[in-house]
Amino acid sequence: MFRKRDSSGELAIFFATDLHGSNVCFKKFVNAGKFYGASILILGGDVTGKMMVPIARQKDGSYLASSAGKELRLEGEEAAALEQQVSDMGFYPKVMSEEEFRGLRDDPEGQEALFHELIRERLEEWIEYARPRLAEQGVKCFAAPGNDDAFFIDEVFADSDAIELLEGRVVEVDGIEMLTTGWSNETPWKTERETSESELRTMIMKMIDRLERPENAIFNIHVPPHATALDQCPKLDENLRPVSSGGNPVMTSAGSTAVRELIEAHQPLLGLHGHIHEGRGIARIDRTVCVNPGSNYSEGVLNGSLIRLRQGEVRDVHLTQG
Amino acid sequence: MATPAGERVFLRKASGLIKSASNTDVLIYDLGLVSIGLGLGFLLFYGPAVYLGGSLYVGTLIAGGAMLLVGLGMLAWTITIPRSGGIYNFGTRSMWPPLAFTLSFVEVSAWLFYGSFGAVYLAQLGIAPSVTAIGIITDKPGIESFGADLAGKWGTFLIGSGALIVGAIILASGMRRFFFTQKVMFSIAVLGTLVFIGSLLFTSRADFVSNWNSVMGDRLDVGDDAYNGVIQTAREAGWSDPGFDWKQTLLFSNWAFLPLIGAAFSISIGGEIKQVGRGQTLGIIGAIVTSVIVWIVSIALVFRTMGKDFLGAVTYSSLNGVEGAATPVTPFPTLLTGLGTSSVVLTILIALGFIGWIWLWIPTQILYPTRALVAWSLDRVAPDKLGTVSERTHTPIPAILLCLAGGITFVGMLAFTTFFQLVIFIEVAVLAWAIVLLAGVFFPYRRPDIYNRSPLANTKIAGFPIMSVACALGAAAAFFYFFNLFFDEFAAGHSRHSMSVLIGWFVGSFVIYWIMWFIRRRQGVNVDLAFKEIPIE
Repeated sequence: MFRKRDSSGELAIFFATDLHGSNVCFKKFVNAGKFYGASILILGGDVTGKMMVPIARQKDGSYLASSAGKELRLEGEEAAALEQQVSDMGFYPKVMSEEEFRGLRDDPEGQEALFHELIRERLEEWIEYARPRLAEQGVKCFAAPGNDDAFFIDEVFADSDAIELLEGRVVEVDGIEMLTTGWSNETPWKTERETSESELRTMIMKMIDRLERPENAIFNIHVPPHATALDQCPKLDENLRPVSSGGNPVMTSAGSTAVRELIEAHQPLLGLHGHIHEGRGIARIDRTVCVNPGSNYSEGVLNGSLIRLRQGEVRDVHLTQG
Repeated sequence: MATPAGERVFLRKASGLIKSASNTDVLIYDLGLVSIGLGLGFLLFYGPAVYLGGSLYVGTLIAGGAMLLVGLGMLAWTITIPRSGGIYNFGTRSMWPPLAFTLSFVEVSAWLFYGSFGAVYLAQLGIAPSVTAIGIITDKPGIESFGADLAGKWGTFLIGSGALIVGAIILASGMRRFFFTQKVMFSIAVLGTLVFIGSLLFTSRADFVSNWNSVMGDRLDVGDDAYNGVIQTAREAGWSDPGFDWKQTLLFSNWAFLPLIGAAFSISIGGEIKQVGRGQTLGIIGAIVTSVIVWIVSIALVFRTMGKDFLGAVTYSSLNGVEGAATPVTPFPTLLTGLGTSSVVLTILIALGFIGWIWLWIPTQILYPTRALVAWSLDRVAPDKLGTVSERTHTPIPAILLCLAGGITFVGMLAFTTFFQLVIFIEVAVLAWAIVLLAGVFFPYRRPDIYNRSPLANTKIAGFPIMSVACALGAAAAFFYFFNLFFDEFAAGHSRHSMSVLIGWFVGSFVIYWIMWFIRRRQGVNVDLAFKEIPIE
């Protein structure tokens, strides 16, 4: 059964984000409810990986692949081990012939199609993995996409009966309203779900208008509010190189001004954010507690936050590294 | 969609795929933390005076070699766990959390202490002697005595505390200002070092002796030939050069090892370096090699210009207060070089360079602990307030203020008491690093889930994971220096007092962890959850 508040009336939520395809992190996320005693799991955006690793079969039976910038020649078992390792890190391994690899290298559309196929496969595997475990734990699980996630993943989650898709919706989590979006302000990478600050403000306002009590709501917005400890990341130049000064990277605020203005204006109970992997922390904007657990997905470490709510208050936020 | 040149991977359009920061940035960061100028000061001031028979060349090379091994071990850690925060991150991944916290606490206490140590040196060996030297060269007794006053207890405390306060204000006002001032001071330090080396190159022994006799003849009571008089008087007071001695050479090498530790401080910014393997290797190894080369060249030039016997005698006389031969100002090599040129401009430039090197230590040694304090706070083993970051400046002001308070306390204790021996804290810091490096030996076996994702995972030496080999060598070098400091009564030692400080700090840190553990328990927070790995079922 779906566990809700414990006997003290306290609701424990576990929130993690920016898993970027990491198998290990997703499996840890599914098991986090039982481990941390949380009855609600919320998976923030950027669930899909960024890189495909072709493992190209050679004529002599060996395989060629790249790992950590090095070219590796592998035998059968080693290739299987690399597949596992690459998947755990959030990348997509694909065994193919050398000819297929060479053909794909000059075929951006083919690469994109294959990416979509592999992303879909992995998400379906994740949902199958999650279904019995979440049911056994009695844990409710929500998910949202992020700016890096292609639109088709919404369908994959929407078809799932184990994980509830949140994008663009207002849902009630044990009596607390929660609005969700994975859209972000503009980034240097021109990603799938990014838009201008004014458009982002309009999108969020539409959801706020549907809230009965915005001051008691959760704003689950992938991009963090501007100029907080949650949105600090290296400043980039026009070639996407970090700008440094005195031998150190110069940091800048990459969060959304619209998100900040709306939080300041409506003072929700809680803000759940991600997007900036380096921005792990907790920030207060007046009465609103904003959390970004950050991400270390490639290390297989699940950064998360265990949030305890009671009587319309955030009792505690505990950042975890599982 | 994209294919990086030379790599058999495909990338899709996504955020965060940025190119690497310049590797030389990491080198500058590490070089600044070695503080080449202050290190050179240690070598030349303490070496010939205290470690009679110690070879400065051999000792420096031994320390450089040992630090290379420690650096390799730390490289293995930071490549495997490329996160900012230093050994706290490594420890919490590989050992019992209370122990990891304890090691982190003693480590950051040590670095905070060295920030204070630098602030004290800024007063006693930087500003005060420079003012005195200018007074001597310009023959203005008022300036000379003002310089001497600045080196006193209150002068030291006020200048040292002032330097820490300025450093903390810069840090609190934002990282951009911190980077800017560090860059300016690094440029001044490098310029001063070049002037120092140039002055030595173009000053002959005869010129040095003549200038020294001219400016110091009346101020010392060793006869008209003040240069040889100092050597003679110091010999009569007990100084000697008995020839090469291995034991003294090894003990002396502590003074080269101490500043070289800074070469591995880029482990604290591992998460901010994208090409962590290449960047950290260049930073750590490059800083060690560059520092050792600059030191060896400078030692050779100082010996050529001033003479090894003179340097030993004049510093011995100063440290032991030899009557008649003790100079009115601490005879640090940079100052001696300035006096040797008899030029106010060169003396000021060299002094500014030296002050620049010392300064590079001060705010960074506050910065390193503040990062740890924030990490502890987020892990709930420190008060929540310490994790608060200013919205305006994005800096952790409560953590900076706490570090400032600790730093000023250390400056006060160094200025007014003899509670801390010279480098006693390096003993605890080296022990903390040694234990973390030892944990690194077993890490590939204990945490294959993490290690197998490291770029090092496929590299083995004699069948052992390269991380185990590198950390074993690093741990051996760190433990060696722990014991080397243990047997160096001048620098650290193992007197009851030293051991009380060392053990007390470890035990105190351990107790602090458990106090926080119980406080959090009462608040309904299980601190252990911050570190435990979620099992995959």
